[in-house]
Amino acid sequence: MKRKKIIIYTVLVLLVAGAVAGFYIYKEYNRKHKDTADLKPDFTAPATQLLGEFGKDEKESNTKYLGKVLQVDGLVKDIVKDDNGFYTIVVGDTASMSSVRCSLDSVHNGQGATVNKGAAIAVKGICSGYNADEMLGSDLILNRAVIEKN
Amino acid sequence: MKNYFVLAAALMLFAVSASAQKFFTKSGKIEFDATTSSSPEKIEGVNKTATCVLDSKSGALQFSVLMKGFAFERALMEEHFNENYVESNKFPRAEFKGTVANNDAVNYTKDGTYNVTVKGKLTLHGVTKDVETTGKLTVQGGKISATASFPVLLADYDVTIPGLVADKVAKTAKIGVTCALEPLKN
Repeated sequence: MKRKKIIIYTVLVLLVAGAVAGFYIYKEYNRKHKDTADLKPDFTAPATQLLGEFGKDEKESNTKYLGKVLQVDGLVKDIVKDDNGFYTIVVGDTASMSSVRCSLDSVHNGQGATVNKGAAIAVKGICSGYNADEMLGSDLILNRAVIEKN
Repeated sequence: MKNYFVLAAALMLFAVSASAQKFFTKSGKIEFDATTSSSPEKIEGVNKTATCVLDSKSGALQFSVLMKGFAFERALMEEHFNENYVESNKFPRAEFKGTVANNDAVNYTKDGTYNVTVKGKLTLHGVTKDVETTGKLTVQGGKISATASFPVLLADYDVTIPGLVADKVAKTAKIGVTCALEPLKN
């Protein structure tokens, strides 16, 4: 009789544990990307300062910034719209070849139409890395970007 | 008098487009697809921030792609791609350096579509291998659109797939390249 009770309880506990695990896996599997607009920036800095840091020591800067939420301040150098209508906001010093290129999050892509060349802007995005290029100018890339101040 | 001016402007424009030797983009599209017949869903990511430079004179072709720039629909899949597969913190960039092997067959000043063979070295996940693929260059109005698709055997680049999902992820990923190249003005 006692043994039967133990078995029943064990089965119950296992079922509950299984359901919890299953629910967790289901939630994890279907997890959506967080909206950058809701994320707090890990770092806030002028575009020129970030480009300077990456230009000086890419490896160290990668360790510091890669995958982090960056808020970049600067002037709009260019606004690029691709064939599918997605905007990239190019921020930096017009006298320099280097820029921070911010690909707008598809959900917030409409913001791109409100940006003006030469205006001061603050853009928040996920740092996906740095492309050093002497001929084309080096770029720091931000993905899933949203415009904070325009 | 006005006509002369238009003519001169047209000639200058022509001279600029004809003399452009290097073509580039900073928003090249690279697609990664590791879906296999037993995958429960599509395993694909897109990167829209690839840098590409093509030298029309020598046929030299270069790509640089930031691994963290691949966007997957599922957040979990993107994290696995970055953390477990390509280890993008350790190896943030993939690069291709090569040439258009039959560059002589492409007339960069004449509109048209040209089939090309591209040969070179691909560096991914810290491993460099020779790759060769066919692609298309379409010249139109002084701009070039470049497309290619080639397979990458993940094991070649020391990308290991955990046993649990080994049969759900393709061993050979399909890489698609689409770039709209513009002349580089010096």
